[in-house]
Amino acid sequence: MSARYGMVIDLDRCIGCGSCMVACAAENNVPALQQATVRTGLTPIVVRTVSNGQEGAARRETFIPIMCMHCEHDTPCVKVCPQQAVEVDRATGIVMQMPQRCLGCRYCMTACPYHARYFNWWDPAWPAGMEKSLNPGIAVRMRGVVEKCNLCHARLHTAKEKAAAAAKREIDPTDYVPACVEACPTSAIHFGNLADANDPVAKESRSPEAFRLLARLGTEPKVYYKSKEAWVRDLAETNSAPRPEVKHG
Amino acid sequence: MSRNTLVFAFGVSFALCVGWIVFPRALYVQKRQPLTFLHKTHAEKSGIADCGECHTLRADGSFAGLPAMEKCTGCHSEKIGDSQAEATLVNNYIKPGTETPWLVYSRQPANVWFSHAIHVKLAGLACSECHSTYGESDQVRTYELNRISGYSRDIWGHSMSRLRRAPHEGMKMSDCESCHQRHQVEVGCLGCHE
Amino acid sequence: MKVTRRDLLVWSAGAAAGLVVTPVPWKILDDVSIWSQNWPWIPQPAKGPVEVKQSACTLCPNGCGLRVRMAGGCPVGLSGVNTNPVSRGALCPLGFGAHQLNWHPRRLRNVKHRGNISSWSEASAAFAKAAREGPIVIVDGHPGRSASSVLENFAEKWGGGYRVAMGPETRSLAPYELWSGVPATSLGYDLENTQTIVSFGAPLLDGWGIPGRFPRLWAERAASMNDPQLRIVQADPSLSRTAARAWQWLQVREGSESALAAGLVRALLEQNLVPAHGAIPLATISEAANETGLSADRIRELARTIVAKPPVLAVSPDFNPAVAALNVVLGAVGARGGIVRSSDRTKKYSSVAGAISNVRAVVIDSSVPWDFAAKSDAEVFRFAAWDGGSSKGDWLLPAPGFLEESTDISTPPAYPVETYAVAANLAKPTFEVQTAARFLANLDASAGTPETILHSRCEQLFRSRSGTLYGQTITPMTEIASTQELEKHLWDGAVWVGERCSAKLACELKEWPSASPSSRAGNWTQPWLAPVLPPLASKLYIESNLRGTPGRTV
Repeated sequence: MSARYGMVIDLDRCIGCGSCMVACAAENNVPALQQATVRTGLTPIVVRTVSNGQEGAARRETFIPIMCMHCEHDTPCVKVCPQQAVEVDRATGIVMQMPQRCLGCRYCMTACPYHARYFNWWDPAWPAGMEKSLNPGIAVRMRGVVEKCNLCHARLHTAKEKAAAAAKREIDPTDYVPACVEACPTSAIHFGNLADANDPVAKESRSPEAFRLLARLGTEPKVYYKSKEAWVRDLAETNSAPRPEVKHG
Repeated sequence: MSRNTLVFAFGVSFALCVGWIVFPRALYVQKRQPLTFLHKTHAEKSGIADCGECHTLRADGSFAGLPAMEKCTGCHSEKIGDSQAEATLVNNYIKPGTETPWLVYSRQPANVWFSHAIHVKLAGLACSECHSTYGESDQVRTYELNRISGYSRDIWGHSMSRLRRAPHEGMKMSDCESCHQRHQVEVGCLGCHE
Repeated sequence: MKVTRRDLLVWSAGAAAGLVVTPVPWKILDDVSIWSQNWPWIPQPAKGPVEVKQSACTLCPNGCGLRVRMAGGCPVGLSGVNTNPVSRGALCPLGFGAHQLNWHPRRLRNVKHRGNISSWSEASAAFAKAAREGPIVIVDGHPGRSASSVLENFAEKWGGGYRVAMGPETRSLAPYELWSGVPATSLGYDLENTQTIVSFGAPLLDGWGIPGRFPRLWAERAASMNDPQLRIVQADPSLSRTAARAWQWLQVREGSESALAAGLVRALLEQNLVPAHGAIPLATISEAANETGLSADRIRELARTIVAKPPVLAVSPDFNPAVAALNVVLGAVGARGGIVRSSDRTKKYSSVAGAISNVRAVVIDSSVPWDFAAKSDAEVFRFAAWDGGSSKGDWLLPAPGFLEESTDISTPPAYPVETYAVAANLAKPTFEVQTAARFLANLDASAGTPETILHSRCEQLFRSRSGTLYGQTITPMTEIASTQELEKHLWDGAVWVGERCSAKLACELKEWPSASPSSRAGNWTQPWLAPVLPPLASKLYIESNLRGTPGRTV
C-alpha cells in the first residue's frame, strides 16, 4: 500500500525558536546569500508570528511554521506547471519539485495558496571553503528555478537503501524523519503516514483540535495543525492569515 | 541527373560524413585511465570471483563504488611482478598514500539518486546487466569524455544513433525508464531524483 | 566548371537536410541540456561515505551533545543526541548551522597586532616580555574545563589573577553566593522538580540555559495542557516568546522587576502565605503596584496563585538580588524544586565585572564572549576563532574554531547536578591555531597541559565511582572497570551525570537588598561565544520576520 506522508504541527507547543528553519536549510543545502531578503530568501520552512489582533494584556501570539502543504487533491502547483516539473508522488504523496525541469516561470508560486514556494534569484554560493560543509547527496539547485519542501525525501532514499541492504522492502519508520521534525526542541512537529489508520499522526489529524490551512479550497493538504485555542483555529480560513508581522525582540 | 541534384546530393553526403564520422570524434576527448587495471588478471590470479568483494556495499546500504586504495594495499604493499602498471601503482599511489584518480565510466549527475542495494539486493539484477562483461575484460577501455556535458560516453552509449545498441549500453534516463517499464516497476520522479 | 551562387545555396540546403539525419543536432541538444542542468560553477557536495560521530557543542558553556555527520573529513550535518540527559537531543537554532562557521569570512586566520598581520613567534616574544615585566591577568569564559585549570595554574604562578566572565544564568545566582558563601558556579535551578515558576523576564523558552532542558520540560509538563503540571508566570513588559507560551502573562512596566518581587514578598507575608521572615522590603504593596502598573489586588492574588502549586521558584534573567530574596522568603533556597547545590566545591571565582588595574598584560581566552572588553590599559592578548571587527585587544590570536579543539565540558551554568563530557575535535584547521592554554604552556610547562589534566580528571572520576554514564547505554559508574573504559565512553560521546549533592544551602537575609538596575532578557545569541553567527542564521534574522537582528554580526 502506498504511504501518505504528512504532519501534524501542534501550535500550542511551538516556541518560535526557528531551529526547524536552520536545520532544514542545513539539511537541504540552502544557501544563505547576503543579498537575500524576506521577499527573496529561500526558507522551505518558515515560522511566522500571528496574533489575535488585540493589544496590551489581552494580546495573544502564536507561531506557525509554514512549509509545502503537500496538497493531495487538485494540487495547484501541479495543475499550472507548463513543464511537468511538479508531481504528486504516487508512492508517498510527497509533492515533488524537479528543479532540472523547472524553467523558472514562477506560475506555481502564484498558484500556491500558502506561499510555500521559493525562487532561486541568484546562483547558490558559499564563502570559500564552505562548500565542504554541504550535505552529501543533496544536489544544489541553480539560479532560476523554484524550490520548496520535499519532506527531506533524500532521507527517505537513505532509509530505503538501508532497508534494501538488509533485503527488506519496507523502511523502518524511525529512519525517515525530516530535519525539522528532528530539530524541534518541543516536539511540536509530528511526522507520519496518514494512510495508516494506526499511525499516531493519522489519529492526531482526526482530533477535533486539528485543522488545515484554507481547507475550503479543497486541495486536501497533508500538513495539519493543531491548537486548543479557538482564535488560532479561526485563523485557518482567513484569507490574509497567517499574516507575517514584523517583530523585533 | 541535373546539376542541382548532384550538388544537393553532395551537400547531403558531406553532412552525413561530418555528422557520422567527424562529429563523434570531435565531441569526445579520449582519456586514458591513470592505471592499467585488469579485471581478468585479478579474477584469475587472486581468485576474486565476486564483484562485491571490491565494489562493496557499506553498512548503511550505500555503494562504495571503486574500492579505496587500502583495498589495493592489502596485496600490493610491495610490488608484485615488474610490469609498468605495477610500478605506477606502488610509486604513484600506494607509497604516497593517495587515491587513484579513476575516470568513472558510469558517473551520473549529482541530482540522480541510484541505489545499487535496491537493484542488486531487492531486484536481483546481475552486475553485468548494466556494466556488461567489463568485470572479465583483459584490457582497459579508453574513457571518452563528452566535451559539452562533461560526462562519460557510456551514458549515451557507444552507438551514436542509439538504434542498435547492446542491452547494457547507455545509462540515460530513458534507459532507466525502459528497463523499469519492462519490469513494470513504477517509481516516479522522486524515485531517482534528489 | 564554375561554381555559382546557386550551387552554394543548393549545397547548403543539401547539407542542412543531411545534417538532420545525423546525430549532430540531437546530440548537441541533449548534451547542452545535460550541461545546463548542472552548471559546472555551482558547488556540489562531496561524495563518499558518511560517518556519524559524537562530540559536544563548544560554542557556549552548555555543551549540548552533538551527533556529527562527517564526509570527506568535514562535518556536514549536526543534530542532537537523544541519549544525552542534559541536552536531551536538542540544539539551539544557531547550533544547527554551526558546522559552517569554520569557513565564515570573518574567520581569524592570522595573528594580528593592532590590526596588522603579525606572527605567532612575535606574539610569543611579546608575551614572554610582558610576563617578565609584570603580573598577568587571565580571563576565562567557561570555567571548569581542563584548559581552565591550565589558565588558573598559570595565573596563580605568574601573579595577577584568574577572572571569570560569567554568563547571565550564573550571574542570576550570584546573590546566593553573597548570602551563603557557596559559589554561584556550583548552584543550580532544580527546574525538574518545581511546579510553579515566576519568571521576572527570564527568556525561559527563548535561550535561557540549556536549549534542550526547559523547552523539553515545558513541552512535557505544560504545553497545550489545561491544567499544566508546570506553571509559568511570566512578568514581562511586552509579549515575549516565553510570555506568549506562559500559563499567565503579567504585563509589568519595564524595569519594575525588583518592585514586583518586593510587592510579592509583602503580599505573601501580609496574607500569611509564608512563615514570618526577618527582612521585609521597605516598599509597600501599593508602591509596588504603582511601579509595576499592576493593581494591589492583582499582586495579592498573584501571591496566592504562586503558592497554590508548590514547589515554587522565582527566576530572573540576570543578577537581581530582589528576586533572589523572594526565593529566600518562599523557602526555595536549598529546597527541592528550588535553588540547589550541584557540588560541594567551595572555590569561588572572581568575576571580571570590575576594572583590571596594575597589571602588565591580560590574556582573554577564546571562551569569553566577544562583547567582553577588558577594562584595562594593559596589553591585551585575545584568543578568538573569529574576528568580530572592532578592535578588542592589542593582539588577536587565532584559536581553534568549531570542533577543532578537544576539550572537556563540565557542569553547564545553573544545572543542578554535576556533569562531565568530552568534545572530540573532528575538524582540522588549515592554518596554525593555538588555544590560550597551549600558548601559556609554551612559556611555562609547569602549569600543565589540558590533556594531562583531562586524563587525571577521568582518573578521579573513575575512583569516585559515583554517578552514571549516559552513552549508547546507561551505565552506572560502579560497572566501569577502568579509567581507560571511562575515557573511551566519554570520547565516544557519553556524558557523566553525578548524583544529587547533599550539601546544605542556607541563606540568611539580614536586610532587604536595594534595587539593582534590571537587564534586558537575551535570547539564544546571549551565551554565544563567537562574534559571528552561523551564516544560516540569516534565515531567522534576515530572510524571514521571525526575529529582529541581534546586536551581533550575522
